[in-house]
Amino acid sequence: MLHAKVLRSPHPHARIRSIETARAESLAGVFAVVTDAAALPDPYYGVAIRDQPVIAIDKVRYIGDMVAAVAAIDEETAYRALTLIDVQYHPLRAVMTIDEALAAGAPLLFEAPAGGAAVQVGEGVTSLKEPRPNVLSEFGYRNGDAEAVLAASDHVFEDRFTFSRINHFHLEPYVNVARVGGGQIELWSCNQDPFVLRNDLARIFGRSANTVRIHSSYVGGGFGGKSFCKMEPLAALLALKAGRPVRLCLSMDEGILTLTKHAGILVLKTGVMADGRLTARQSEIQLDAGAYSDVSAMTVVKTGYRITGPYRWVAVATRACAVRTNSVPAGSFRGFGGTQASFASESQIDMIARRLGIEPYEFRRKNLLAVGEPFQPGDSGMDSDLLAGLDAVVERLGYRRRAAPPAAGTKRRGMGLSIGLKDASGTNYAQALVKVLPAGRAIVNAATVEIGQGATTALCRIGAEVLGLPLEWVRYGAIDTDHTPLNNGTHVSCTTAVTGTAIERAAADARRQILEFAADRLGCSAGELTLDHWTVRRGNYTHLLEPMINDHFGAAGYEFIGRGGTRIEYDPRAPLAALNLFWIPSWVGAEVEVDYETGKVEVTQLVVGADSGTSVNAQACRGQVEGAALQAYGQSLFEELRYDGTEPVNATPLAYRVPLASDLPECYESFVVEHGGPGPFGAKGIGESGMLGVAAAIANAIEDAVGVRLTQIPLTSERVLTAIEGAR
Amino acid sequence: MTDAIDIILTVNGRTHRLNVPPRRMLADLLRDELQLAGCKIGCDQAVCGACTVLVEGMPVTACTSFAFEFDGKAVTTTEGLAAGGVLDPVQQAFLEHGAFQCGFCTPGMILSVKALLARHPDPDVPLIRQWLNANICRCTGYQMIIDAVRAAAKAGAR
Repeated sequence: MLHAKVLRSPHPHARIRSIETARAESLAGVFAVVTDAAALPDPYYGVAIRDQPVIAIDKVRYIGDMVAAVAAIDEETAYRALTLIDVQYHPLRAVMTIDEALAAGAPLLFEAPAGGAAVQVGEGVTSLKEPRPNVLSEFGYRNGDAEAVLAASDHVFEDRFTFSRINHFHLEPYVNVARVGGGQIELWSCNQDPFVLRNDLARIFGRSANTVRIHSSYVGGGFGGKSFCKMEPLAALLALKAGRPVRLCLSMDEGILTLTKHAGILVLKTGVMADGRLTARQSEIQLDAGAYSDVSAMTVVKTGYRITGPYRWVAVATRACAVRTNSVPAGSFRGFGGTQASFASESQIDMIARRLGIEPYEFRRKNLLAVGEPFQPGDSGMDSDLLAGLDAVVERLGYRRRAAPPAAGTKRRGMGLSIGLKDASGTNYAQALVKVLPAGRAIVNAATVEIGQGATTALCRIGAEVLGLPLEWVRYGAIDTDHTPLNNGTHVSCTTAVTGTAIERAAADARRQILEFAADRLGCSAGELTLDHWTVRRGNYTHLLEPMINDHFGAAGYEFIGRGGTRIEYDPRAPLAALNLFWIPSWVGAEVEVDYETGKVEVTQLVVGADSGTSVNAQACRGQVEGAALQAYGQSLFEELRYDGTEPVNATPLAYRVPLASDLPECYESFVVEHGGPGPFGAKGIGESGMLGVAAAIANAIEDAVGVRLTQIPLTSERVLTAIEGAR
Repeated sequence: MTDAIDIILTVNGRTHRLNVPPRRMLADLLRDELQLAGCKIGCDQAVCGACTVLVEGMPVTACTSFAFEFDGKAVTTTEGLAAGGVLDPVQQAFLEHGAFQCGFCTPGMILSVKALLARHPDPDVPLIRQWLNANICRCTGYQMIIDAVRAAAKAGAR
């Protein structure tokens, strides 16, 4: 097996004048050098809009862009070969911020339209591909006449929020092993979307899907970073050229230059009546998509749709766009636009309450969607008791008991609340297969990748429950696109509810076959039988299945193979072209202590609540909520991938700071409510919930403590102090 | 090329006579030559702690340590913890308390906890947090790890 390394652009924006690879190619131990993907049948990837080349074609568009790659006998040789590649660039003016990219006369990242199409949407929604220079995509949503409703409102408030860029920092690096031969491309991948990847590889290399085979392994964390196609085709291209298997493992520094969460600017104009009723919200959202599409076109749709939060509106008007800049491409990050939307929305809700002199809890209570109320016309109803969740936070935080004794010295305490909300996405589909082997041992097969979220346990538990088998008898099958049934990837907190439903149905199909077989042997009807621990019960009698199977099928035995599937149907009347399957609320309460002389913020209490529907694995649900909330907590207070001009300044694990154990709030509490849901046994999804409400809750608590409002994260000491000094 | 160096390394109780190039990192030696892939390479810069192993009971980041430095020393990796199919009490506590999700940080994390409990059999939460700072976990939010460490300490794990 060969090892690959990638040469990356030192320029934020440049035309490639020439690449000289002869010296690298002649180095002993080098088997392949690849540059310029133009010769591939379809060299670009990206979700909906495809603009990212497998390896740079003509131009580079950010510091870190992949220019050339080498496969060699070992990593050391591959690194050495990279130093022998001579690339001549013609530097171009770069656009590093949203404002620069949108300015008149700004240099263009792309001179020609990209491949692909706009994201499919439904009623009341517009979705545009590349509508203006340096704009990748635009989402628009209207419900009612927001301008007129705002004009008739007693108060209208306009506020601007700035959201930061963070990296996923999954500890397992991006790693892929590719082998090309015998008419097939085979990949062992850390990617969480094996079937999405199979389709991309087939398209890029001009092959049919049945000649591409993806094996997924247990993945060492991703948080969105390992979704959709990235460097996988490059590994395949190297393997194709070298004629040998190639392992491409990125360093963590390279990982930081591979994908980020979307930074953004969100301007919200919100109307409210004198009695505290919200009326209309008009939002202008710009997300920094970075240099390439990745999944930005989808992220702006989601951010735009979620910007109204968990409240009731008379009218809504939203415009959200993804802006191309010469920075690291932005893509999926746990929460997928919901974090950006929740930060802006829940900050502004709090600001408005305080401006009007209404208790922020009361203001929320007055405007929250009731159970069953649709989020927007045409979409599904709220399936979570939002007020009950908020009350649980209030209770645990001691929100009502805060008589606010003046903290000693220069410190002031305050509390803030927030309710993040996101949908569980639209068209989701999954197929599954459950095999019951001799002795009642079972294998469940689905394409959801175990990435640390506990999918394998949850999915096995669903299979075991339906088949009446002990959990330890059920195993999750290895994922291999040649054998595993298809799904649309490991996404949107939907594993338990969507893939779980497919497995529930597949297991029920296997159970039906087993009972029909037993009924046939016993000379009764299947309806008289129940399955339990690999026996069948008929009234007071228990029959062992094993002897029946041996007797009938002989020594070779038999496998009962059940199949199941589920699909959320396309529905053009729903804004996102499918009814949302379930709602993902995030209830957060924070207590902070702010030193008004230094600006230092200490979170003394953080309470985070989520709705699991019904927990298939309560311990794993807690882990999901707390893990997500700590990621959001880091981003709220200090974590950020920063640029100084055109240069990323902390794109290395030494300089990039993520939360450590000692960063935990002194008092950190999570809870999970169970109101039922559409998945197996009433399950919903919970993986992203903890991400959503944290930043706003802390910002709200800071205002509560020291009376200043920060509308930009991270909420650093410098920003807090500047705000305090500005208010004096 | 500099000449390779002869070293004797005891790994998980087994003695190996090895001939290592001077630039060979302990993590690469463990993973590639001794097939002990439980030593994970995350950041490769001694920041994340995923590669933590014990050398004479002390936590060491194997990704940035030259193998030859450990001539004559005893190394413990995660593979050396469970004995006869029975998990180490710290491993058992991690399992019971949901103290890992993706599991990539877990081998290093558990070895750090072993070192902590060897020195401080009954650590309080601030001390646990301080020790765990050497190991990044991006999944759990740490609290369930802290629960596991306290439970392991209570059960008398060393």
